[in-house]
Amino acid sequence: MNHAGRLTSTAAALVLLVAMAPVARADNTQGITASSIKIGNLGPFSGESAVFNPLNYGPEAYLRYINDQGGINGRKFETIFADDACNEAKGIAAAKKLIYEDKVFMIIGHPCSGVAMAIKPMVDKEGVPWVGLSANPKITNPVTPSMFHVGYTGIASGEAMAGFALSNPGVKKIALVQHSNDWAHGYCEPATAIIKKNGGEVVVDAALERGSTDATAQALQVKASGAQAVMGCLYQPELVVLLRDLHKFGVNVPVLGALGADFEQTVAQVNDADAVKQIFFQPYQFKSPLGQGSLKQFHDMFLKYLTKDELPKSGEPTNFYYFGVPAAIVTVEAIKRAGPDLTREKWIAAMESLNKWDTGVFADTETITHDNHDGVHLMYAVGVSAEGKETVYKSWGKPAE
Amino acid sequence: MLSFLPQLVVSGIATGMLYALMALSMTVGYRATTVVNFGHGDMLMIGAYASYVLVAGIGLPFGPAIVLAAALLFLLGAAAQRLLMQPIIGGPHLSLAMMALAVGYALRGVARIEWGNDVLKLPRAYSSGVFVLGPVVVTTDDLVISGVVLVLLAALFLVFNVTAVGKVIQAVFQTQRGAALVGINVKAFHATMWGAGAALGAIGGVLMALIVPLTPDIGVATLVRGFAAMTLGGFGSLQGAVIGGLLLGIMEKVLGFYVSTVFIDITAYLVTILVLLIRPKGLFGQHATLRI
Amino acid sequence: MRVGRRPYWLIPLLLLPVPLFLDQYQQYVANLILVYVPVAVGFNVVVGNLGLLAFSNVAFFGIGAYTAGILMLKLGLPWWVTVLPAGIMGGIAGATAAVPALRGVRLFYLAIMTLAFGELMRWVYIRWEPVTGGSFGMSVPEPSVLGWALDVEARKFYAFLVLVVLMIVLTDRLLRSRFGRAFVAIKGNEEAAAAMGIPTDRYILLGFAWGGFVVGIGGSMYAALVGHLSPSSFDLTELILQFAIIIVGGLGSLVGSVLGAALLTAAPEFFRDLPGFEELLFAVLIIVVILFLPRGLASLLGRVHPVFNDRYFRE
Repeated sequence: MNHAGRLTSTAAALVLLVAMAPVARADNTQGITASSIKIGNLGPFSGESAVFNPLNYGPEAYLRYINDQGGINGRKFETIFADDACNEAKGIAAAKKLIYEDKVFMIIGHPCSGVAMAIKPMVDKEGVPWVGLSANPKITNPVTPSMFHVGYTGIASGEAMAGFALSNPGVKKIALVQHSNDWAHGYCEPATAIIKKNGGEVVVDAALERGSTDATAQALQVKASGAQAVMGCLYQPELVVLLRDLHKFGVNVPVLGALGADFEQTVAQVNDADAVKQIFFQPYQFKSPLGQGSLKQFHDMFLKYLTKDELPKSGEPTNFYYFGVPAAIVTVEAIKRAGPDLTREKWIAAMESLNKWDTGVFADTETITHDNHDGVHLMYAVGVSAEGKETVYKSWGKPAE
Repeated sequence: MLSFLPQLVVSGIATGMLYALMALSMTVGYRATTVVNFGHGDMLMIGAYASYVLVAGIGLPFGPAIVLAAALLFLLGAAAQRLLMQPIIGGPHLSLAMMALAVGYALRGVARIEWGNDVLKLPRAYSSGVFVLGPVVVTTDDLVISGVVLVLLAALFLVFNVTAVGKVIQAVFQTQRGAALVGINVKAFHATMWGAGAALGAIGGVLMALIVPLTPDIGVATLVRGFAAMTLGGFGSLQGAVIGGLLLGIMEKVLGFYVSTVFIDITAYLVTILVLLIRPKGLFGQHATLRI
Repeated sequence: MRVGRRPYWLIPLLLLPVPLFLDQYQQYVANLILVYVPVAVGFNVVVGNLGLLAFSNVAFFGIGAYTAGILMLKLGLPWWVTVLPAGIMGGIAGATAAVPALRGVRLFYLAIMTLAFGELMRWVYIRWEPVTGGSFGMSVPEPSVLGWALDVEARKFYAFLVLVVLMIVLTDRLLRSRFGRAFVAIKGNEEAAAAMGIPTDRYILLGFAWGGFVVGIGGSMYAALVGHLSPSSFDLTELILQFAIIIVGGLGSLVGSVLGAALLTAAPEFFRDLPGFEELLFAVLIIVVILFLPRGLASLLGRVHPVFNDRYFRE
């Protein structure tokens, strides 16, 4: 009994010791040395959502480009990738490794919304800068000091989708077709709010799950309802299926896709001009068509700095690369503005100083303040004109430039 | 509202043809080895990708591509059975189930590494057309898929009931021990039938590739439907698999349209649970002899 | 069969100083291992000890997690109060899943049916938005035990350790009792067991309910550790992981449950540099274990020292 007693009391003492000990906080120049800045790049590199990792490779290409130019203030970027497989438990492990073991300066990423919500308390508590691209606006609303959205959230996109549909005179009845997941709801819920606010009516709310091979029931519901436009909050394969089946049953109303699909690939995979001409539109985040105009330099950047495995099989960067790259562009700009004595606080202040700043990629300029960490809001729409040409529109029937 | 019913039924049959093929291909393997292949959906997926590589990558015309994809999957299925399943036959059923699942998961891992960053689509093999028959709309794809499945059914029927090989297969289905006693190589039989099931699954995959963009996860949903169809039709019954598949397709459409689209995804699960609770034998039960 | 009472007291004591040596990341991984131990233990009771092909484990896991989460979020209850209800709900779910088994459904039929049960639960999490938060999931408040906030990983470690030891001890007691012996008889030959007068129905129900209870407790731990519950965490991928844990660890073995949980939670962290290969490596691991080490890792350790041979049956 004595021996066990001593063992137990030693154990109890240890427990008390550890339990009382305050956790060492990461300091605010963590990840910064005289010659390098460590960036954690968090995202789904395995599993079902691996198809979205171009969102992670886009910004990485830009960081490699900056390194090629000599870095910022003598510091080059060192990226540490971490896989979350779009799973909360794994995502927390990945984030903890980045923050506590690799000791990164900040996290870029687009953790899936579930992961972002799961790591948010820790990121907030540790004050780690976070620039992300997940759809769920709850991550930056209400504002947490160190987390920023520099891409279009689901709110902005959903509003753009609904706004564009409603800009077509006479359109009041709208149908929703969406996945039963948080990503899709992140687009279709704000869209619904805008529709109702403008006196419109949601006449159908149909679910079309991932992996569906056809959308007959959904298309017929749309047809039966007399809807004048459709919000398709779907990933690319299902969007293709929906467009095909709507056309099959003679439902030729405008269909607004969400940002989970690449516009050009979708049009190509539907493979039927009549199914998309003046029918398929997507909110358009960019200033120019992909790879052209001001986006051409990024097209070349992706091809130059990304490896074969980091690019799609076709070799042509899809829209997710462009969607992701501003995370790095804005981060680098804030690092520039923060000056050579870089700290987290200075970086955050620099981010909040951005006012109508042009990333060169997005249609809208970035405006970030202390109370608003969602940088961009306004979007255009892209569609296929009556002549079959990819065209960017300001609103229904009004092409941009 | 009822005006939509014919269309729903017809489209349900078209989709159901894919489910029927899935269930059929799984039943072939099951009849031979009494093991349910939980990795079958992923074999279908590999078949789909194989056809993509052959058509888009090498430039093979569609017809030979299907045949070649089926042949490749035949070899893959037979090899998987011989090397991975056969050694553990007689062991706990859980191990068999998990082994099949793991094989499928491994295939998915390979597909993810190779094609995971993309959404790919099989180029069109024939021009898309739409045919209007009264209140019902049918596309060329619907006809092609249904046609191929029906042809396969007819071929299977002929093979099993008319040819000498078919009689041998029926014999082994009835009694493996008797077959072994008569000198039939039961191990080779297992591997061959597993391979045949995989080949049929591959054809299903190619047909799917006609209508849906490819991702490494397309096998999973179809696997579940295949199970439901097999359960509904009666495990082990080939005609049950087909009827079950068609009925499931129709149910999904009708339920989805008239009740709610949120039920489409769980129809298969509901059917499985209800059938196993109420009438576990399904529609056609389990036959001692083979009948299509 | 086994050596004495000593092993139980030593191991948790040896683990007490662990948080001193681990950083926040490693401690989190250790906590995640602890979460998966009861998940594996409960799963093993039904699949390993009873020998029934039940694919419903993720349903029990999710129900436990969501019960704890809902009680914390909607009723404001502190975490430690929600642990037992989570287990009880898991137990009820287990009893429900037992229904087809009681009606004689076995083998692959049972597997598919219980799998359907699990997927239907996931559908419920998605659809029952006012209660579960729907597809956006729910973020649960910080867990606490009797007022002691579990705000750092080390504290969670100790809280979890208590629960894990409790679950292992209780399950061990169950498996050594006449119930456990009945499980062995049912797994070996159900008809013979019934012929001998063993009320198989009762024991099957008990096995499922206990398994569900233990896994439900694991679910409440998951809620405390991860803090955000979403339906996609309780899908088929999760089921495959849980299967892998008990197969690699050793079916029907408590030691195996612990080993499997430890290996399959920690190993992916070591393979972080090879993303994309994970699915493949995982599958290969399962294949290799089934082919070459069918009794799992516990059997390997069992050759080293008999104390690890705690499989409650011979095969």
